[in-house]
Amino acid sequence: MQTSDMDYLTVALPKGKLFSLSAELFAKIGYTAEGLSDQSRKLIITNEEKKIRFIVSKTADVPTYVEYGAADIGVIGKDVLMESGKDVYELLDLGFGKCHLMMAVHKPERRPKLTDYAHTRVATKFPHIAEQFFNEHGMQMEYIKLNGSIELGPIVGLSESIVDIVETGTTLRENNLEEIAYIMDATARLIANRVSFKLKFDRIHAMVEDLRQILESEAKA
Amino acid sequence: MVNEKQVLGIPYGTRDFLPTEAAGKRAIETKLAALFALWGYDEVVTPTIEYFDTLTMDSGRQLAPQLFKLFDKGGKTLALRHEMTTPIARVVASRLKDAPLPLKLSYISSVFRSEQSQMGRQCEFYQAGVELVGSASATADAEVLALAIQSLLRAGLKDFSVCLGQVEFVTGIMQQYRLDEQTQQTLKKALEQHDLVAYDATVASLDLAAAAKQNLRQLPVLSGGEETLQQAYASALGEQSRRALDNLSAIYHLLASYGLEKYVRFDLGLIRDFSYYTGMVFEVYTAGLGFPLAGGGRYDHMLSDFGCACPATGFALGIERVLLALERQGIGAPEPAKDVYIGYSAGQEAAAVNRATSLRSEGKVAELSLAPQTKAEAEASRHAKGYATLVYLE
Repeated sequence: MQTSDMDYLTVALPKGKLFSLSAELFAKIGYTAEGLSDQSRKLIITNEEKKIRFIVSKTADVPTYVEYGAADIGVIGKDVLMESGKDVYELLDLGFGKCHLMMAVHKPERRPKLTDYAHTRVATKFPHIAEQFFNEHGMQMEYIKLNGSIELGPIVGLSESIVDIVETGTTLRENNLEEIAYIMDATARLIANRVSFKLKFDRIHAMVEDLRQILESEAKA
Repeated sequence: MVNEKQVLGIPYGTRDFLPTEAAGKRAIETKLAALFALWGYDEVVTPTIEYFDTLTMDSGRQLAPQLFKLFDKGGKTLALRHEMTTPIARVVASRLKDAPLPLKLSYISSVFRSEQSQMGRQCEFYQAGVELVGSASATADAEVLALAIQSLLRAGLKDFSVCLGQVEFVTGIMQQYRLDEQTQQTLKKALEQHDLVAYDATVASLDLAAAAKQNLRQLPVLSGGEETLQQAYASALGEQSRRALDNLSAIYHLLASYGLEKYVRFDLGLIRDFSYYTGMVFEVYTAGLGFPLAGGGRYDHMLSDFGCACPATGFALGIERVLLALERQGIGAPEPAKDVYIGYSAGQEAAAVNRATSLRSEGKVAELSLAPQTKAEAEASRHAKGYATLVYLE
């Protein structure tokens, strides 16, 4: 596949919880494709009439596809985008997928102050964001990169704390963890490749304005 | 002890150019060197290593974490150059201080950044570009822009697009609403990082009339052909932003005289790096390559940091990126010509050397066998090496 094919717009969507919300939103402005599903075995799903292609990828890979221009635009959580440090246009806050990043510890071993955790181990999927946060507090930490079930860290003694995303807090409660520091809010973002945003400006800009209208009317409703 | 695994490897972010790749690179460099010379630009070569303090003098400060650093015998910190503009500014402010202005200088060199490698940009990569020092006129900006476009055309690219902006326009718009320094910095940082969500959120939070907010919100997407300038004039209420638009308009008309205006579109949200550029800025894009091919702009303050207040403008293009774009657009570099393979039987060495010499003096690429061969062996060698014809002496 070549994005040098100027006629097509390639959209990268992440598998998982953001997928159906993104696909529904795009459908509302007329961008959809037959068989678009994150369960699909087809990796590229094309709508020839609308000249649009969808690629469905692993969440953490969406910023990479977009930065390299393999996809023109994509949908990704602000948390994953910030962690990736990729240079892409961030065009629109889509509002869904709302969660926040925070630091949590095992309740029974809670220490009085944040700085009491300096030089301890923190398990996280977001080592860059975590490092930035702790640096701002003048804290040196030992980062342990995990790829899932972060909550397990403090329970099995792998780490003293975790930095992770929280939506409802249920998982934290179930595992007897307690949030002790807020880091940042995150929602889904529409992102675009730096070059695609320039070369396919009219099309992408029109799409952003259509999406913005939908989001604003939904916010009012 | 020798680490066996490392001996045959190369460090992260570096690459070898094998013969075909090296030939493609050399071909572009040769064309560009000739073009720069035709426009009256003289080449300069500066050291690969400079003092860390020199390179971080100006905007380099932000790039300091990306510099490869080392120490000299006296313990001074050195660094590999991360771009060519700063070393050239140093040369201009010191050894060329008394040269007649304007100075027109060009370079083709490797630069180094210890960032994660990108498409067509390893940690060591090659840049070609020019710096035009000593003129603040739109004529100088138009010349640099025209030369950048001509460079890409000369390299063989057909389809590309130049986006042109003016940082003074952006600053002027912000000034006309009397935004405080802190707010301006936040907005400019958001533009630099291409974070339009943060930009919009900051604008929304300002205590301004709806029309003013609308003007600010439009800024990053003020983009298109000549009509964009007219649109921009409508939102430019202050002297500063109007002057910036007059400047863009002048550059555009000069480009039309060069016959190159069709490659340009205005993109008034483009600012590249605010701490560095002071006037027009541009980036060049092509389909199929997710990163800019080339970029440049006016930087009137940089030389004064070196004690030589002097306006300047210039551009740089990424040679590997141009090569990649050519390859992706199916405009492959021509294979290097291999004309004649010369084989000979025992005793014919002298005749073979004479033949090779005369062929080479005619400009033919000729390879001489290093030992006597049978005709069949010589034919096999010719075929294996890719030479067009065989000359066999017996």
